[in-house]
Amino acid sequence: MSSNIAALADEGRVEIDHVSIRFTSKKGDHLALAETRLQLEPGTFTALIGPSGCGKSTLLNALAGFVEPTAGQIRIDGRPVDGPGPNVGVVFQQYALFPWFTALGNVKFALQRFGLGKTELHERAMAALAEVGLETQADKFPGQLSGGMKQRVGIARTLAYEPKVLLMDEPFGALDAQTRREMHDLLLRVWEKHKATVLFVTHDVDEALLLADHVHVLSRAPGRIIRSYDLSASRPRAISRDFPDLLDTREEILALLKPEPAEDRGDVASVS
Amino acid sequence: MVDIRETSAAGGASSRRVVPRLPALVAGVMGSVASPLISFVIVLAIWSLVSALKVVPDAIFPSPWSVASAFAEMMENGVFFSDLGISVSRAATGFVIGASLGVAMGVLTGRVAVIRTVLNPFMTLLRPIPAIALVPVAIVWFGIGEGSKYFVISYTVFLTVWFNTHHGMEYIPDIYLRASQSLGASRLREFFQVVIPAAAPHIFAGIRLGVALAFLSLVAAELSGASSGIGYRLQESRQYIRTDRMFALLIELGVLGAIVDTIVHRIGKRIVHWQQS
Ligand SMILES: Nc1ncnc2c1ncn2[C@@H]1O[C@H](COP(=O)(O)OP(=O)(O)O)[C@@H](O)[C@H]1O
Ligand SMILES: [Mg+2]
Repeated sequence: MSSNIAALADEGRVEIDHVSIRFTSKKGDHLALAETRLQLEPGTFTALIGPSGCGKSTLLNALAGFVEPTAGQIRIDGRPVDGPGPNVGVVFQQYALFPWFTALGNVKFALQRFGLGKTELHERAMAALAEVGLETQADKFPGQLSGGMKQRVGIARTLAYEPKVLLMDEPFGALDAQTRREMHDLLLRVWEKHKATVLFVTHDVDEALLLADHVHVLSRAPGRIIRSYDLSASRPRAISRDFPDLLDTREEILALLKPEPAEDRGDVASVS
Repeated sequence: MVDIRETSAAGGASSRRVVPRLPALVAGVMGSVASPLISFVIVLAIWSLVSALKVVPDAIFPSPWSVASAFAEMMENGVFFSDLGISVSRAATGFVIGASLGVAMGVLTGRVAVIRTVLNPFMTLLRPIPAIALVPVAIVWFGIGEGSKYFVISYTVFLTVWFNTHHGMEYIPDIYLRASQSLGASRLREFFQVVIPAAAPHIFAGIRLGVALAFLSLVAAELSGASSGIGYRLQESRQYIRTDRMFALLIELGVLGAIVDTIVHRIGKRIVHWQQS
C-alpha cells in the first residue's frame, strides 16, 4: 500500500494501534494493559519502563504473537501480527536457551527454518556466535555458561536469522552490574550493525537512558503510556554531568515511577 | 561417658574449636565409597552371630554358610544360570513391551487433549491394582506359558512409564515452546527437538521405576504357573522347605535389581546430561 518509498532498509515498522489486553480467568476479567498507542520507526531503539505488573511483558508477548490483543491491532510493516513470525525476534529474560543443545546447537535451531546446507548452517551459526564473542564456547551447554554468556547466546540465536524487529524483555535483569555494562556495549554494537527495530523492556531507568532513542513510561497496572521522551544524546552515553539532559530526564522518570505511599499500600494489598 | 567424650574430641568431629579437617575428609570418603561395604559387613556379622547362637533352627533361619552353600549347589547343577537367564529375559521382554507402549501412550495423553480427557480416568483407576492381582486374568487369557508372564510384567511397567511420560509431556515449560515458535520451528521439529527433550527427565524417571517394577512383577508372574525362573525356584524351595535356597534367591534378586538399576541410572544421566546443571 504505502511501500512506495519503503526500501529494504526501511523495514521493521511497528504499529500498536489502540491495543488493550484483558485476561479472563475463573476469578473474572483482569485488564493487564490499558489502551496503548505506539509507533516504532524502522531501526529505532525504544525502551519501555514501568512498575512491575503494569503489563510490559504482556505488550511484548502480544508483539511477539504469543498473546492476542483483546482490542486494537498490532501491525508490523502493515501486516497484522497473528502469531510468532520470522520478522520478530525475542530475547527472553530467563534466556530460554534449550539446555539439551550446545550454544552452537541453540543457534543452529534458529537457522534451520532456512533449509541451509550443513556447511552453511554451521558457518552462519558460528558467525553469529563470533559476533557476540562466543566462538570459543560453541560446544558448551547452557548449564556450563555464566548468565552473561547465556544471554549472549540468546542474542546470537535471535539475531542469527536477522529479524526486522527485536523484542527484549528485561534481558539483563538477572545480570550483575559489570556484566550488564558489557552487555549494553555488545547490544549497541550488534544493533548498529543489524539496524533492527528494538523494543526493550526494563525496570532500570539508567539502562533505558543509556540505550534508547525513545523512552516510554507506563503507569501502574493496568499500564498505559503516561510520558514519552526522545533522547538525542550521542552514544556511547554515560549517566554523568557530561550528559545533563539525561540527568534531568532521569530525575523526571524516577519521580514518575515513585510510588505514592497510600496508593502503594492499596496496590500491594490488591496484588496479594 | 568419659570414653565417648574422649573419642569425639580426638576425632575432632564434635569439637567446636578444632576445625575437623582430616577426620571429616576420612568420614566423607567412607561415606561415599565404603559405607555400603561397611553396612554389609555389619549385617553379615550380626547374621553370623545370631545363627551361631542357634536361637532359631538353621532350617528356619539359615546361617550365612548354608546360604552360601545353597548358592554353590545351584551354580553347580546349572539351575542358577538357567533361572537367571529365563527371568532376565522375561523381565527384559516385558519391560521393552511395557515401556514402549507406556512412552507412546504418555505422549498421546500428554499432548493430545481429546485423548487425555478420554483416557486419564483409566490411569487413575488402574494404578492401584497390584501386579499379582493380574495373574489369574493373565493365565486365563494367555495360558501358563510365557505370554502370561510378559503380560503381567509389561502391564505393570506400562502403567508407570505411561504416568511419568504423561506428566513430563503435560508440563513443558511455556518458555521453551515460545522460544521454539518464535525461532520458527515447525510443529514436528518442536515435538522432536523441544517437547521430547524437555520431557526426557520425566520419561527416564518413569523408565527407571519401570525397571524396578519389572523385577517386582516378574516374581509375581513366576509364582504361579511357571516351571523355571527365580520366582519359580523360590516357590519350589518352599515346597522342600529349603530356606537356605530361598535366602540365596532373595539375595540374587536384590543384587540383580540393584545392578540393573545402577546401569539404567547411569545411562539416564548420560542421556539427560543437562539435568544436573
Ligand atoms: N497469561 C496470563 N494470564 C493471566 N494473567 C496474566 C497473564 N500474563 C500476565 N498476566 C497478568 O497481567 C498483568 C501484567 O503482567 P506483566 O505483563 O507480566 O507485567 P510486567 O511485565 O509489566 O511486570 C499482571 O497482573 C499479570 O498477573
Ligand atoms: Mg515482565
